[in-house]
Amino acid sequence: MSGLALRAVNLSKRFGNLSALEGITFTLAPGEVIGLVGRRGSGKSTLLHLISGIHSPSTGEIRFDHRRVNFTGPYQARQLGIYLVHQEPRLVKRLDVIHNIFLGQEIGWPFGGGLPDRNRMTRRAATVLEEFDLPVGLLWEKAENLPDEQRQIVAIARVLCQPACLLLLDDPLAALSFERQRRLLDRIRGLAGQGAGVIVTGDNLKHLFAITDRIFVLYEGRLVADRRTADSTPREIVEMIVGAASQEQVTPIIWALESYHAAQQQAEELRHTQATLRESLEAQDSLNRQLVERLRDQVEALDQLNVALQAAHRRLLTEREQERKHLARELHDQVIQDLLSFNYRLEEAENAEPTTERQKELAAIRSGIRQVVSELRQLCGDLRPPTIDSHGLEAAIRSHAQEWADRNGIALTLEIDPHLGRLPEAIELSVFRIVQEGLNNVRKHAAAKQVNLCLQRTPTASLLVQLTDDGKGLTQPLDLAALSARRHFGLLSISERVALLGGTMHIESAPGGGVALQVDIPSPSPSV
Amino acid sequence: MRAFSASHSKPSWPGVWQAVVRRQEFGIAVILLALTIILSLQTSTFLTGTNLFNVMRASSWIAIAAFGEAIVIIAGGIDLSVGSVMALAGLVSALTLLAGWGAPSAICAGLAAGVAVGFINGVFVSRGKLPSFIVTLGTLSAARGLAFGLTGGEPVRNLPNSFVHLGQYNLPLGNWEVPLPAIAMLVFAGLTALLLSRTVLGGHIYALGSDETAVWLAGINVERLKITVYTLSGVLAAAGGILMTARLGVAAPTAAVGYELDIIAAAMVGGVSWLGGKGTVWGALLGAMTMQVLRNGLVLLGFPTYWQATAIGVIIIAAIALDRWRSGHS
Repeated sequence: MSGLALRAVNLSKRFGNLSALEGITFTLAPGEVIGLVGRRGSGKSTLLHLISGIHSPSTGEIRFDHRRVNFTGPYQARQLGIYLVHQEPRLVKRLDVIHNIFLGQEIGWPFGGGLPDRNRMTRRAATVLEEFDLPVGLLWEKAENLPDEQRQIVAIARVLCQPACLLLLDDPLAALSFERQRRLLDRIRGLAGQGAGVIVTGDNLKHLFAITDRIFVLYEGRLVADRRTADSTPREIVEMIVGAASQEQVTPIIWALESYHAAQQQAEELRHTQATLRESLEAQDSLNRQLVERLRDQVEALDQLNVALQAAHRRLLTEREQERKHLARELHDQVIQDLLSFNYRLEEAENAEPTTERQKELAAIRSGIRQVVSELRQLCGDLRPPTIDSHGLEAAIRSHAQEWADRNGIALTLEIDPHLGRLPEAIELSVFRIVQEGLNNVRKHAAAKQVNLCLQRTPTASLLVQLTDDGKGLTQPLDLAALSARRHFGLLSISERVALLGGTMHIESAPGGGVALQVDIPSPSPSV
Repeated sequence: MRAFSASHSKPSWPGVWQAVVRRQEFGIAVILLALTIILSLQTSTFLTGTNLFNVMRASSWIAIAAFGEAIVIIAGGIDLSVGSVMALAGLVSALTLLAGWGAPSAICAGLAAGVAVGFINGVFVSRGKLPSFIVTLGTLSAARGLAFGLTGGEPVRNLPNSFVHLGQYNLPLGNWEVPLPAIAMLVFAGLTALLLSRTVLGGHIYALGSDETAVWLAGINVERLKITVYTLSGVLAAAGGILMTARLGVAAPTAAVGYELDIIAAAMVGGVSWLGGKGTVWGALLGAMTMQVLRNGLVLLGFPTYWQATAIGVIIIAAIALDRWRSGHS
């Protein structure tokens, strides 16, 4: 459709005492795109309303193709091919989208009215909706159910479904998404290419600079600038929008505007990135879930292995104890008895020997044998505390402590809970071995003069073993792994036994300068 | 309302049933059906061909005028002048007949009187931007006065048979004798329904009643549209008036006094929303029929005549309350 040359001469509009527009004069050639900018209330919408026949000018005249017009309503402008898209589109809420798009511009027979041609209208509207990425089904949605952006697109579609000579777009981009803004900008350029004149208002100077041939600036109802877009800069335009009187405010406003639009664009891009990120995140998530599952399987296998290992360890200890017990009995019942009987026969031989020379020699041999027997007895006692099976832990510890103190010349104070009673064999043996190892450590490393050993039942029904000395104490923090590397198994074996009984072990410096070993064994302990 | 709704989906049967229930006419159709059943059971005379055709004939001119009233109400206005227009159109036809015109020309003259009053209503409402209630209240009085002035207050009698036949002739159709006014009523209903539901003009009328500002901004010539609407109402009222005169055989300036209320009631009982933008011609037809059936039934049941108006008032309020309740639920 051919364009329409618009000429406004000295156009003014007053609402009561309020002057909205004053002395506006300009021309618009067919195929030209004009950007109309100005502050809120500067008269942008009013000017578009005058051109589209919503209001009539108070003074001045509007000419289309050199003919003066005096519109009394929008329908007269519409007859000339002048279309206005309102800032806030007014649709008939109760009608569906396709009726709204073609309201007042139905395609039909005869003479474009009368009986409507549904198929042609549906096709044409569907093309426009697809252009803006909207589903065709939207055509039969009631206008009152649409969100703002879709209402704006319907209003724009009204214009795009009919050939127009002059398009007046009042801030059509604000409600649209980034992608649709670009579509509309392209479309505006395309329409201008076909000869339609366009006046578009908006806040985003970047958009206006992209598509307009000229930019008009309105300031308080007056047209203060009519610039070719190619010859002006956004800064210049903003200066005029704000008004020359407030020069000093211009720079921050430009910054604000620029950063606002930059931020908008970034927000769009961010939204896009976010969408892709969300997708990859979901993929990552499922991978993670698989990994976590595999890890759980492995941890489970490790747990089972650990349990098996503990069981094996326990069995090893038990068997070792059995072995020792057996060995001790063998030594005691066989070897010592044999040695004693040899000793007895030697005594008889000694008595029968006439020479004192030989008697002395035999006595020395017998004393040697008694020495061996005594050492063997000691060995048996170490292998298997002789009293533990018959008299229990308390007696075994008392006897061992007494012997230890005598042998090493270190004072030992023993405190044993009178209500200790008997415990399962495995626990009694383990506790005994712990005490044995502990005392052994004190003897080897502490150089102590006084040792305290305390065994007691605690209110939580567990067994507490405390061993304190007044020796050298610890020179450095204990590290069981390092001890193991240096083949010092004493503390290590204590800690292993404690762990097998499910107990806890603390080693710290005692108040008197030595070391305090504290072992806590729960009872009933795990079955051994 | 669906001036060009596309046939993009074929409705399934439950869909059709729901659509029927949701229609504004559903309530009044149920009431009409219930009244018919009750009256058929209570009286032996109601469900006879003759009585039913009598009911249709008696409601025909009210119904035809109600079609025009429905158009005005859908477009967001009201037309109080319809009763006076009926009387005036009948009188103009009668006077031109007595002046020697043929029946067709005389009918055209009567219709022209309706067009004139309707056009004047439209001009004052649209150009003058006056409330339709005020304008048509004025023309109600003016047209009535004109009717009195033209005749000097005397009824016009001795109308030629060619004209009177129009209201009194029964068309033999099989076993039935169908009165011409009943056929005319159905024809007008069909034409008006087509106009409202199938044409661009009809779509504009619904849109005008829904949101006048949006229609104006959309570039529709609202003034012309309103004038068309009131003219249609005038011409349909005139058609009803001419039919009534032909049936009665006499044109009295006092005819159809107070009919505007029956006509408005018929449209509203038939589901035409007084807020505009909603309603159908078929609803108005059902409304007019229901009121006539009720009147007829009350007579057959021997209900005291003086109380009939009260019963009709109750039915009007009940029908509109039912409509309100239904639209509140949907």
